[in-house]
Amino acid sequence: MNWPMVAFLFLAAMVLVSAWRVATTPSITHATLFLATTFAGVAGLFFLLQADFLAAVQLLIYAGAVMAVVIFAVMLSDMRDIEPVRGRGLAAQVASSQFGWLPLAGATVLFVLFMLVYVHAAPGWPKTPVAAAPDSTSYIAGALFGSYALPFEVASVLLLAAMIGAIILTRQEGGRRS
Amino acid sequence: MSGGAAAPAAVAAAGVPLVDFLAVAAALFCIGLFTALRRSNAIMILMGIELMLNAVNVNLVAFSRYLPQNGDRGQAFAAFVLAVAAAEAAVGLALAIIVSRRRGGIDVEGIDLMKG
Repeated sequence: MNWPMVAFLFLAAMVLVSAWRVATTPSITHATLFLATTFAGVAGLFFLLQADFLAAVQLLIYAGAVMAVVIFAVMLSDMRDIEPVRGRGLAAQVASSQFGWLPLAGATVLFVLFMLVYVHAAPGWPKTPVAAAPDSTSYIAGALFGSYALPFEVASVLLLAAMIGAIILTRQEGGRRS
Repeated sequence: MSGGAAAPAAVAAAGVPLVDFLAVAAALFCIGLFTALRRSNAIMILMGIELMLNAVNVNLVAFSRYLPQNGDRGQAFAAFVLAVAAAEAAVGLALAIIVSRRRGGIDVEGIDLMKG
């Protein structure tokens, strides 16, 4: 077995195991930390795919900024809302009345998984990747500021609107007092 | 990572077929969907959506590396997905904080004020 396959299997296991822990852990703090691990693993997959720019951005924005925002939200929201530990394992949770609709969620997910497998099972996917251009980051910059300049500006306006909206939403009510 | 123009075959993911990346992305998407459907905490639902968006990004980057039609254009698209995900996380978590402050909880099953 060659070393890219080993690295791929390691990263895939890291991503999937920590994502599964996000879905199942009873503690929201643990879920946050496992989410960070998932993001780091996805960044590793990007490195493996020679997407250097996206791997760095993934680490900076997802594992850095988004995780910081999520941790702030967890700390600022009511900590009593953490899902209490209700038995260990999925079977105990299915049995509890709180997760009576868990089979429905599971059935939906299995349906989507089946559709994805059906779509991806086509023969003839390429076996080997094409080598990246040595200046792939500058190519992305050229695409973003060249042919995709208008969507880029729209995305910046979206981020500005999201920033202003988040500030206005979370402002203390009756903020005129001081 | 890129070995330069002298070694065009020096791809880091050489030996890993495309369908493996697609399988990991599909599994990650389904786990994210499961998180978003199963949890009743608004922050956990947002985490599930972030997982799904990450899976889509893995697919985009894998396709841009294995089936390049126009250079690395798929990576530029993934950058847009990332920007939209960041905006969505900011607004969604702000909403979670304000709902928690006003109603004393972010359990989405309790947020039924506009239910007919």
